[in-house]
Amino acid sequence: MIMNKQEFLTNAGLQVQTLELWLDQRWLIADQASDEMTFSDADVARARLIRDLKGDFGVNDEGVDVILHLVDQLHGLRGAFEQLHRNIKELSR
Amino acid sequence: MRNPYEVLGVAPTALPADIQKAYRKLAKKLHPDLNPGDKAAEEKFKEVASAYDLLADAEKRRRFDAGEIDATGAERPQHHFYRDFATSDEGRSYQDNSGFADFMDADDALADLLRRGERARANRRGRDLHYSLPIDFAESITGANKRLTLPDGGTLDVTIPPGLVDGQILRLRGKGAPGTGEGGSGDALIEVEVLPDRRFAREGDDISLELPISLSEAVLGGRIRVPTPTGDVTMAVPKGSNTGTIMRLKGKGAPRRGGGHGDQFAKLKVVLPKGPDPELEAFVSKWDKGKAFNPREEGTS
Repeated sequence: MIMNKQEFLTNAGLQVQTLELWLDQRWLIADQASDEMTFSDADVARARLIRDLKGDFGVNDEGVDVILHLVDQLHGLRGAFEQLHRNIKELSR
Repeated sequence: MRNPYEVLGVAPTALPADIQKAYRKLAKKLHPDLNPGDKAAEEKFKEVASAYDLLADAEKRRRFDAGEIDATGAERPQHHFYRDFATSDEGRSYQDNSGFADFMDADDALADLLRRGERARANRRGRDLHYSLPIDFAESITGANKRLTLPDGGTLDVTIPPGLVDGQILRLRGKGAPGTGEGGSGDALIEVEVLPDRRFAREGDDISLELPISLSEAVLGGRIRVPTPTGDVTMAVPKGSNTGTIMRLKGKGAPRRGGGHGDQFAKLKVVLPKGPDPELEAFVSKWDKGKAFNPREEGTS
């Protein structure tokens, strides 16, 4: 689902100031293809992860930065691994 | 549903701080987004989270201890974790391939497979394309419409929002490489570089600049023109202004996201006319109080 800023804030349970800070930190990247910035369900889930890290886990901002960077790398790696897995399956057929 | 005290591994007499500590320890280990490949982690995490929801709330804990509610009394609402999206198209713009880029460069069977995989995937979403776009300082404050010329000769119209900061990434959905089949196009991710301006410097929403003024403007005061990123404005310099005096131009800074603008701060710098000036020399040599003034002595400036 594609949502505008207000809908995103409601769904993610964020204050507008927090969102702006997170956009500045590049923890979240809004889509700016149209005049208005838009967000996806993935952005909502990512915002929840950041909230869990900062709230429940007591991770500070520097820690969040490091964790997100590693998580993003991990998913890049998982994507490549998944592809590799599929290719090997095709080759061995 | 297990007993929440058992789930968290704490005694029924545990203090709230101990419960939080136990929860954090388990949650950090089990959070599904920190265990993207472990299916069981999600169930375990949910169990730990609902145990914590129950025990962290003094009232719920009291009612549970009194047997008024059972352990399921505090189920968290179902929500999707980031890992559910991270390798899908929606999460792709965050994905970072630097973790294995070195394998792709290699000239071996694995690299070949990785590359072949990139090509072969049917209905694959197009790649995200990364561009960088340099803009002037003034454009970063006022916003602008820019046209980016792409390596293939095409163009991309980019709207720079007012108040953009150096290094900000603009995402243009669907403007990346075309996908195959029903995959759809990737996104264009444009990193905007704000070129430095020798007059202005930005600090948050505020802009600072060093403003040269003449000796006569410093001593006698006057109205002077001050450049701002949105054009010149007139400012009154009070009598007796000195080098280092900071004047505030309210609302002449960068736009704030929440509305309004930051301020511009002009730091005055008194500049003497070039070359010796006989009239000025004659005046200063007769100016005893001026000659007696030593700005290097404490308490004089």
